[in-house]
Amino acid sequence: MTTILEIIIVILLAGIIGLFFLGLSRKIMARIHWRYGPPIAQPVIDIIKLFNQTSMSHGILFNFGIIFSLAGSVVVLLFLPLGRICPLSGSGGLLVILYLMLVAPLGLTLSGGEAANPYASIGISRIFLLAMGYEVPLLLILLSVMTHYNSISIVQIVSIQLQTGWSFQHLPLLLPGIAYILIFPAILGLRPFELIQAPQEISSGPMAEYGGKFLALATIQHAFNVFIGISLFTNLFLGGAENPGYFFLKMLAVFIIFLFVNAVFPRFRIEQAIRYLWKWPTLLAFAGLVIVMITG
Amino acid sequence: MNLVILLAIAFGGALITYFSGKISKKLRDIFAVLISLALIGIVTGFYNVSSRNIFYTGFFDFPLILRIDTFSWFFAITTVALGSLCIIFSLSYIRTREKTDFYYLMMLLVNAAMLGIVLAGDLISLFVFWEIMSWSTFLLISYNQGHALAAGMKYIVMSIIGSLVMLVGILSLYTSFNTFDISQIAYGMSSASTGYILFILIIFGITFGIKNAVMPFHTWLPDAYAEAPSPFTAVLSGMLTRMGIYGFLLLMYVMVGLSSVITSKLLSFHYILTWLGAITIVIPTFIAMLQNDAKKLLAWHGIGQGGYMILGIAFGTNYALVGGIFHTLNHAIYIVLLFLSVAAVQYRTHGERDLNSLGGLIKKMPVAFIGALLGISGLIGIPLTNGFVSKWIIYKTLIIEGAPFLAFAALIGTWGTILSVYKFIHNMFLGQLPERYKDVTKLPINMQIPIVILSAAILLFGILPGIVLKVINSIVHSFGFEPLNVTLWGIASDTGALNMVNIFALILAASLVIWFIFKRIRKSIKINQYDSYAAGTTVPKDKYHYSVNFYDPLYRMISPYLKDFIDDFYMILARSIKNAGNGIRRIYSGDVGYYVMYIILFLALLIFIQINWELW
Repeated sequence: MTTILEIIIVILLAGIIGLFFLGLSRKIMARIHWRYGPPIAQPVIDIIKLFNQTSMSHGILFNFGIIFSLAGSVVVLLFLPLGRICPLSGSGGLLVILYLMLVAPLGLTLSGGEAANPYASIGISRIFLLAMGYEVPLLLILLSVMTHYNSISIVQIVSIQLQTGWSFQHLPLLLPGIAYILIFPAILGLRPFELIQAPQEISSGPMAEYGGKFLALATIQHAFNVFIGISLFTNLFLGGAENPGYFFLKMLAVFIIFLFVNAVFPRFRIEQAIRYLWKWPTLLAFAGLVIVMITG
Repeated sequence: MNLVILLAIAFGGALITYFSGKISKKLRDIFAVLISLALIGIVTGFYNVSSRNIFYTGFFDFPLILRIDTFSWFFAITTVALGSLCIIFSLSYIRTREKTDFYYLMMLLVNAAMLGIVLAGDLISLFVFWEIMSWSTFLLISYNQGHALAAGMKYIVMSIIGSLVMLVGILSLYTSFNTFDISQIAYGMSSASTGYILFILIIFGITFGIKNAVMPFHTWLPDAYAEAPSPFTAVLSGMLTRMGIYGFLLLMYVMVGLSSVITSKLLSFHYILTWLGAITIVIPTFIAMLQNDAKKLLAWHGIGQGGYMILGIAFGTNYALVGGIFHTLNHAIYIVLLFLSVAAVQYRTHGERDLNSLGGLIKKMPVAFIGALLGISGLIGIPLTNGFVSKWIIYKTLIIEGAPFLAFAALIGTWGTILSVYKFIHNMFLGQLPERYKDVTKLPINMQIPIVILSAAILLFGILPGIVLKVINSIVHSFGFEPLNVTLWGIASDTGALNMVNIFALILAASLVIWFIFKRIRKSIKINQYDSYAAGTTVPKDKYHYSVNFYDPLYRMISPYLKDFIDDFYMILARSIKNAGNGIRRIYSGDVGYYVMYIILFLALLIFIQINWELW
């Protein structure tokens, strides 16, 4: 019973925090641009509006892809410790999270692929290319974390950090941590890696054909994704937290820093992005993994 | 039931099918299906049976032995089950072709030979069945003529090299232990010197490495897979190539045995083999990304997935071994499914397998699409599919045992896989349907059945992996490892449990809730594929599909590094041998005058030597 309660709390909190972050990002971006900006609740207002609009569907996979994608994101949430709350601590650990994180993009891309629109397909190819770019350093980083703590369970990794300090304070994990910071905007899809939607170039990419409830679900999914990306970083490198409130503050700090990066950078081209991601972050992460191996 | 009768049915059935084809096509089809189904039934009956038969003693008085235990039963049941599905699928695929009797004969012969290999209890019968398998494979690869002849030639040349090397190994074992019986050899090997064990490991390792297409012996595979008739490609990729894995297991854990590995520090062989496995995962996976031919793309993945199995069985912990063997089965299931889906598309589009000229077939062939979707999910290892469980087991042991670089190779292989298989499914089934395929009809029922069965198997073994893990656990236990703590839904362990049913229940619940909300909100309007966003212009027919050079930026970056240098090397080697042969042929011109001259020159040389040095 408590598990079910925890599941509901985690999903609700993640949704609220994710949507809050989306609203906040628009507000902060606007202020940096010397505009007033929309209210913070704008994403919620948009979602309610979108649910009431008529939408077009291209077929069964077009519908189910987006449903499956959202379900995948929801399930990932339950594996990530939020403060002390982690409803599914014993079902496979970080490796399962890593693989479950594939479900969401795969659902979205299958749905977008069915739309028979080249803009969507170009966006999809960029999703996968960018993922290929940042997964190389990210996997090295995650492997050095798992090897350093000799555990594949994220709950265990967090609880070790609560006793011995953040991962950044463990010297062998310093280089992987820096590499993680360097690739973090790519994971969240913030500028300079805002290639996938790129509204001016490819008309929102995979979501080109979405309208109405599809767009609403896609927005919710995006909110969850932002939450998952920041939460993973906070849990692995910033020591997680004892309670959800403190955890939220840490996430907020991380998000705002990367919003500032987002505000001042232009967009990379896709090959520039891959070249960047495979160069310095990968070298740092590789060196980090070697150091972790040596220090045992 | 006797094992001899089992093999007699398998081989005799192949011949009966061939001759019944001379009488009536219908009768032949019925025979082919009945025999392959009968084999499933008989092999199932051998579950948990250990038996040993001497079936022939006439060969220089050496007893030829058949034996069955859980280890060979596991491979036997996989072989016959997948073989029969491919035969059922072939019924309509091959109907309009020439020499269909011959095709069925060879299909059944290949299955029978594979059954013989896994049941063989001595090296002579292993070698004989191995050769029957290689030659009938060669004939089937070349079945399509044209390019297929060259592909078959490449296969058979490498296969013969493997067989000859194996023959050397067998003879060497015989001179050492005076027997061909595998169990007696295993007994003898426990007291053999380290150097000799290493020699045997390398000799047999080359044979099985060629069959399993481990780098650098992989070059026969892409062409052979691409050119063989598609239902046979499924057999080839699913089980036949994996006879190499059976061989490695037989070699490393039955013949040589775990104890000699640990006591005599043979770990360097294992260590090198794990790294070969890792290389075999990474490079082919990235080459697969560059392919535009559906079957070649899958073929390169076939090589890459073989790397996971090698990595698992060579790493040599109980987890890794369970993962490696389980991955062999899982790979067989999803790769057969993928090749059958491609075959289904080929069947309806007149043999088209170029990824740049297909598209939008999901609306015309939903069953083939579902097969392809579950197949690629298994290939990637999306949770809830079988591929995930075996990969998870391998990764876990690699990380816990402190081999993160091997784990990195294995993980990055997965991410490379996603890119290429998405392209595979997108270019074939998604996007715009070309006008020329708008009249494509549904698949015949005998093509749908194997696809549905295999799709169900992927989900079943993904959600309840315990069904298979229990069997594999007892195999691994019989090799002398500590068994895992297996439950029906996954693995219970102190260092990280896996519970697939939990994950399944959650994904199902989440999808149902979202689907329910989705249904309740305003219904969406169905529109056709030409009613989409085109920046203000009308949608052009047949041209509005982004499929050529799907990952162009990445191609330009990595393609210079991803040539198949090893294949080039073999080709140069083959060419120089041919040139040398041509050179030598000039000496034998056929003109008697030349021969007289050679004789006179030779005599002159002898006389010259004798006069100068007086040797005689």
